[in-house]
Amino acid sequence: MYKSVSLSVLFHVVFVIATIVSLPFVKKEPITAQQLIAIDIIQISEKTQLPFAPKAREIIEKIKKEKEKRVVTKQAPPKITPKEKPKAIPLPDKLKIKSEEEKKKQNPEEIKELNRQSSEFEKKELFDPNKISALIDKSKEETAEIQKKQSLELTQNQDSSVDLNKGITLSQEDAIKAQIYKCWNIPLGLPFDQNLLVRIRLTLRPNGSITSSEILDHARMNQPGQGFYKVLAESALRAVKLCDPLKMPTTGYEKWKDLQLNFDAKEMLKG
Amino acid sequence: MLTKSLKNTFLVIVLGILISACSTTATKTTKSTSAGDVYTGTDTVQYLTTGVADRVFFGTNSKNLTSAAKVTLDKQAAYIKSSKISVVIEGHADERGTREYNLALGERRANVVRDYLMSKGIAKSSIKVISYGKERPASKESSALAWSQNRRSVTVKSK
Amino acid sequence: MKKFYLTFFSILFFTQASFALVKIDITRGNLEPLPAAISKFYMEDPSKFSAELKALKLEKKIPELISNNLKRSGLFHIIDPKSYIQSPNIAHVKPTFQDWALIKAQIMVSGKLVIDSKKRLRVEFRLWDVIAGKEIEGLALFATPSSWRRISHIISDKIYERMTGELGYFDTRIIYVAETGSKTQRVKRLAIMDQDGANNKYLTLGNELVLTPRFNPTAQMITYMSYFKNLPRVYLLNIETGMQEVVGDFPGMTFAPRFSPDGKKIIMSFAKDGNSDIYSMDVATRVVEQLTTHPSIDTSPSYSFDGKYITFNSDRSGAQQIYVMRSDGSNAKRISFGEGLYGTPVWSPRGDLIAFTKIYKGSFYIGVMRSDGSGERLLTQNYYQEAPSWSPNGRVLIFYRETKSGKSEIGGSSSLWSIDLTGYNERKIKTLTDASDPAWSGLLSK
Repeated sequence: MYKSVSLSVLFHVVFVIATIVSLPFVKKEPITAQQLIAIDIIQISEKTQLPFAPKAREIIEKIKKEKEKRVVTKQAPPKITPKEKPKAIPLPDKLKIKSEEEKKKQNPEEIKELNRQSSEFEKKELFDPNKISALIDKSKEETAEIQKKQSLELTQNQDSSVDLNKGITLSQEDAIKAQIYKCWNIPLGLPFDQNLLVRIRLTLRPNGSITSSEILDHARMNQPGQGFYKVLAESALRAVKLCDPLKMPTTGYEKWKDLQLNFDAKEMLKG
Repeated sequence: MLTKSLKNTFLVIVLGILISACSTTATKTTKSTSAGDVYTGTDTVQYLTTGVADRVFFGTNSKNLTSAAKVTLDKQAAYIKSSKISVVIEGHADERGTREYNLALGERRANVVRDYLMSKGIAKSSIKVISYGKERPASKESSALAWSQNRRSVTVKSK
Repeated sequence: MKKFYLTFFSILFFTQASFALVKIDITRGNLEPLPAAISKFYMEDPSKFSAELKALKLEKKIPELISNNLKRSGLFHIIDPKSYIQSPNIAHVKPTFQDWALIKAQIMVSGKLVIDSKKRLRVEFRLWDVIAGKEIEGLALFATPSSWRRISHIISDKIYERMTGELGYFDTRIIYVAETGSKTQRVKRLAIMDQDGANNKYLTLGNELVLTPRFNPTAQMITYMSYFKNLPRVYLLNIETGMQEVVGDFPGMTFAPRFSPDGKKIIMSFAKDGNSDIYSMDVATRVVEQLTTHPSIDTSPSYSFDGKYITFNSDRSGAQQIYVMRSDGSNAKRISFGEGLYGTPVWSPRGDLIAFTKIYKGSFYIGVMRSDGSGERLLTQNYYQEAPSWSPNGRVLIFYRETKSGKSEIGGSSSLWSIDLTGYNERKIKTLTDASDPAWSGLLSK
């Protein structure tokens, strides 16, 4: 062992000396003069200046403001008690990664609250079709990259809520979902890899009470081998009944008097 | 110019290679036949007769005979030959494995000992073999030491 | 011009009115156990009941057993009977659903005990959907004073099946090894009990070591390994008669036995000259077939539910791993590739999964994987645990654990545990003594 240390020290010393010695070699290298290139200086006029188009600038400013806005939540999020789900016991060295993944599995209340505060999953830009169409003609480059928002953060800006072909706003849909989530007791242990989508059509009175509920694919419930479907359908019916009357928006009755609820337990059963 | 820079780079490379410390691995003389956790004590050892230990020990999940084991077995062979006794070789395993696999492992260990004794001239007919898996530990504790004492093959005079 | 405006606005109006049907995706709910009320049963015409029968208090005992079964499954939350408003006899005929909904029950079980004209005891139960306000299941069974436990289990299975879509597992038994004595001189006896711990019986005396007992499909026979006369061999035991016989005529140690799903064969390991291979024997004809020929340890074989494949434990790769081969021994393929050692593979009666024991970095795990080796999931971790066995509906695993033992006699105790396939509902199973090597029977009522 000592042999190698001393050898190493020797070589280190040699190297240091060598670099000291060789440096002057580099220093003394004669500099060859570069060939001269003639340059014409061109004036940059107003035409070639590329500012942001006025409308684009507006949007960018607004987005910046939005970013700041979102840090402050409208309501303090209530205590989140994540469900302790020992789905998989991680191997010792994978424990940390797994526990982070486990935290992401949330129960209904948790999801709801996350919608009201900024999270790292949030897409930061707003999609506003009106403003985009105004932009397209005016500016050719440097439009702020605006991406469509995937999640339901629009609850903070109810005024500019987007009507996505549904007849009710996303926030209203959100409110209905939240009620049903609380009422739905999902039968535990159903297989999650089968097609177990239960669709229930409801007709409602203006006060949100249910006049009729009907399972589409009703016939499937009594077919042999469809035991799981029947169990899930019955649980969905119980959920609807328990939630009767639903708290519906005060306006737009014509839009939501016919409701179809698609019960899909896949995400919850997968765990 | 080219030659100068080449020369420098060459010098640097050569010296760079030279200064990378030569590492020497401390050569531990390890017995290639052992798994490293073979019991080498005498606490649980009993004796067939003076100086002849009745058992040999194994590494985790291993059936290999250490050189110490072979020394013991040589003595056993000599004793068996001279006293003309018949023996039963018991194979055992520690508790840190599944029950059924341990039964097979015990049988494997017992047979390794039997084969060795036979190679030393003991007749097949005077050796019987049985495995107890992890059912009959020599030490009832749950520690690495106890487990190493339980990974054994015991030679017993047959009645 | 007016006409134009008229048509324009009327078109607007009508397009306004006909909105697309509002569709909402409900992808979340709560995973709480289903709140259920199990009402006391009622005796119709108590004067017809004998004193002996009345003393059994079945009107209380039966619903109690049902409640315990459903509670233990982890899928039902039994609401405290003290809060029930409606009396049992009315509940059974025409329940006031609001009363039951008030205490938050979503389903309710009511029942009746009747002595019929032939002096037989008839047990009737009804399952009600409290929210929908209707009866969803009902059954009548004939019972004797000695069979009332099985009746309760059968009713529990019916309720379980109706509410989960799966077969139940309450009308079953568990065979295990009862252990007593010091660690170095353990006394082991075969023991059998109902799945809820009742009716415990010992089947052997403890004079010789007994290990790894398993049921045949009808739960009338047990195959196990015994050191009778100091010769470790696989045996057959008839539970009814108590008769034991050695399986086959092997010139060496046989161990790790299991029945095939049709009960006609016993599959096991045979060890000779340091090598363990898997053999099968036809119980009736006694014809023996060798299934593996590898010089490695091949053990812990288990048939697939359809009898077409066998999963087993082999160290042919250098360490304990899980393999699958066809039931004729051909085409053996390794399916376990994770870190650590794998052992005790056992095929689910539902066919989709293989449960196993895994040893990694000094810990023991019970886990499941698909029969192609994918989707490995570990359910529980412990200092020492092994040998999972499936409930007949493939939803619950039973296994055993041992604690560490120190210098004194403290520790080194073994106990039976169960866990749901989902990883939930880990429970210790109460036994009179220490216990190990549990195996679950099939449903007794088929």
